[in-house]
Amino acid sequence: MTDLTSTPSEAAAAAEDEGFYHESALNATWTGSRLAIGGLTFLFGAFLFAYFYLRSLNSSGLWQGPGFVRPSLWIGTTIMLLAEVSAGVHYFGLQRIKAGGKSTWQITGLLALGLGLAAVAFQIYQLVDLPFAPGSSGYASVFTGFYPVFLVIQLAVLLWLEILLARSRFIPALSFVEQPPTYTETHAVQRFQASLSAFSTTWNYMALMALLFWFLFYAL
Amino acid sequence: MAIETQPERADPTGRGPEPAGAAVRPWWLRPGIPAGLIGAVIGYFLGHWLGNFLGGDYARSSLADANDVAIVLGYAFAVLGWLAGLGVFNDLFGLMLGRPLPEERRLVGKEDPGLGKYFRYTLDHKVVGIQYLYGMIAYFLTGGLFAMAIRSELLSPSYHLIGPEQYLEVVGEHGTMMMMMMSSVILGPFGQYFGPLLIGSKRVAFPRLEALGFWLTPASYVILLSAILFGGFPTGWTGYEPLATQATSGMDAYYFAFGLMGISMILAGFNMIVTIINYRAPGMRWSRLPMFVWSMFTVAFLQVLAVPVLVGACYMGLSDRTFQTAFFTNQLGGSSYLYENLFWFFGHPEVYILALPGFGVISEVVSVFCRKPLFGYKIAAAGMLGVGILSFFVWQHHLFDSGINPDMRPLFMLTTELISIPTGFIYLVGMGTFWKARIRFSIPMLFALAFYFNFLIGGISGVFLSDVPADTTEHGSFFVMAHFHYTIMGGLIFAFFSGIYYWLPKMTGIKLNETLGKIHFWTMFIFFNSTFLPLFALGVMGMPRRVFEYARNLETLNDWVSISSFLLGVSILIFLFNFVMSMLFWRTPEVGNPWRSRSLEWQLSTPPPPENFKRVPVILSSPYDYGVKDALPVADLNPPPGVIGSAYAPAGAVPASTGEA
Repeated sequence: MTDLTSTPSEAAAAAEDEGFYHESALNATWTGSRLAIGGLTFLFGAFLFAYFYLRSLNSSGLWQGPGFVRPSLWIGTTIMLLAEVSAGVHYFGLQRIKAGGKSTWQITGLLALGLGLAAVAFQIYQLVDLPFAPGSSGYASVFTGFYPVFLVIQLAVLLWLEILLARSRFIPALSFVEQPPTYTETHAVQRFQASLSAFSTTWNYMALMALLFWFLFYAL
Repeated sequence: MAIETQPERADPTGRGPEPAGAAVRPWWLRPGIPAGLIGAVIGYFLGHWLGNFLGGDYARSSLADANDVAIVLGYAFAVLGWLAGLGVFNDLFGLMLGRPLPEERRLVGKEDPGLGKYFRYTLDHKVVGIQYLYGMIAYFLTGGLFAMAIRSELLSPSYHLIGPEQYLEVVGEHGTMMMMMMSSVILGPFGQYFGPLLIGSKRVAFPRLEALGFWLTPASYVILLSAILFGGFPTGWTGYEPLATQATSGMDAYYFAFGLMGISMILAGFNMIVTIINYRAPGMRWSRLPMFVWSMFTVAFLQVLAVPVLVGACYMGLSDRTFQTAFFTNQLGGSSYLYENLFWFFGHPEVYILALPGFGVISEVVSVFCRKPLFGYKIAAAGMLGVGILSFFVWQHHLFDSGINPDMRPLFMLTTELISIPTGFIYLVGMGTFWKARIRFSIPMLFALAFYFNFLIGGISGVFLSDVPADTTEHGSFFVMAHFHYTIMGGLIFAFFSGIYYWLPKMTGIKLNETLGKIHFWTMFIFFNSTFLPLFALGVMGMPRRVFEYARNLETLNDWVSISSFLLGVSILIFLFNFVMSMLFWRTPEVGNPWRSRSLEWQLSTPPPPENFKRVPVILSSPYDYGVKDALPVADLNPPPGVIGSAYAPAGAVPASTGEA
């Protein structure tokens, strides 16, 4: 915060510095979300590698083994669709808030949060009621190992959405339509928008991963 | 113990100021180490109870003598309790309620007085850097003590101090402590402290993640040591399957600690990359970035991209041992080679996570003490990036002897040999800088010169080992051990000490005793080589790693090595004595720019002010323009309004907090 007792020149310098770091923070949000996606890709890549490695190796003929039963396609597809719809609904809301519709985004945000949490809940339900023991085959190991990691990351990303929803309550709807009267408020809105955009990218990425692993575990 | 560098500002309570109007909480409830420890103990017992409740009737697939679920959940809840006690989640709860994050006090020039800030979860990157410094020294000394135990046993060709199982335990603890914890030995203290200063920034991008990265390290350290209570782990630092699945519960500690340290590395690297990309001061072009920052940048990418694979592998190992998956059990559809591949996909970039920061520190030092511009700056930067990229394509050379398809060997032999080219670039940049220089042989420079000497031996033996026939012959022998000790201890640790002698006066305003510093250097250099050079011979003569017995004809050489290693330990004690006495008692002030460095951090007061820079500086020239005629100063530290960029805030604008936009 700028010192109110400073001279006009010092105040201008302080405002300039504040603007510089504000711009840096906006860019940092963009970079951070893309970098997080990079890191997550390598984490999921470890499971992807395990999937194809064990599948192609088929140790002791137990990639799936005799009498293997897949997990319920209905539940798996429902979980995947919940993640996709959640991301889609939020993406729609993002377009609305860019056009100034804060309340529409809040509704779609809440909906996306609910759908995401439902996906996580269904996933937990599926994991505690699998038709195979975790170590009964290569497939069973990768499936049982991957989904707990995936749902924890989904929960972490949804926590981000909850924070955005909580924060949005304190930002006037008018601020999304026209520029607020002070730099402080302008900066707050811009940071919120940057964070929202970064969240949306990350959540869309998670939806893509949900689709990819659904394809591997249920369709391939 | 952290040192207050401005004693007149010290708070005798060591707790820092209490917020006005806030109710004073008892010491054990205030965010800090005591509350963290209490949280960890409660968390451990809670997790242990939960584990027994959930997994008490699990059939064990390993030879474990305890319920692994209880132990792992105990660790997990202990870490959560530790972090909660430190206050890591406080801001998160505030955010969940929609409150904005509080501003860092130091950014408005207010520094927390006293020693207390060094024992807290703090957002000041300089405090985090000092926390890392003390932490890393403690972890290094612990790993060193295990090394002394190894060498004590090897004084005799047969059992005389510690038996075979205990020997493996000690080897595993030593190797893991050094490879796991020391990955942050430079990025932690110097990267966190000087990274923002060197790019001209007042702040880092994600200070909470940065601090969390540090506070996960003591938890990893304690959990790794706790393996001893469960009989250790027999796998060494690599945690190879299927031995790991068959091991007792100490293996849980290995997997959990390594995974946790992996998360710490990811957080540190993540913050570093985003900070370097976005928070560089105006004029700090990529072509002016100090070489140390280039090394941090490259290493941070390796951490963010390679370490998640390690975290995944550790998780898979833990899930095999707890909820009974079979990732690594061949008979159940898994494969032990899966672990080996995942581990080395991380493990080889890890080698460069350890090596590149050393080159970064040394590149800063040689230019200052040669009084010459860094020779081939762009080549060095390209070399760093080249090493970083190629390091992802060499991991299979660790499996040359482990059942890899023989047709694949030449490819990975080639990629391994290729990586010596960018490494050679960085090395030759140092040689070019030495050329016709008037070198000042101050202590940091002595360590830098020793770095080049040691790394040459380590590097050439590495190229030799990358050849399949040589690797097949020397695999698993002391030759390999000598090679990587030359690159990691001879490289990284010598660079770390160079950095300590070079930067400690800036960090603390106190300089270390020079005579003791020189004694430390010479004893360390001589006894390091005296310890590790004979190991090449021992390896060629057939002495295997990780075995507590050896052929009687190797005893003389082993005794020589052991005695040298004890003397090497003495040299570290000389450093420790110098460090403790200089910091606590002698306290010789060093407030200027003793090395006459052009680098940005040395243009600031000592120690640097809380907010780093009064204003966003404008970078005017390269930090390496020594002896360059008409070279501009490196930066304008107090540019007039309007210079930074009218795009952000027009000059003459009224204060941001109240003014009209």
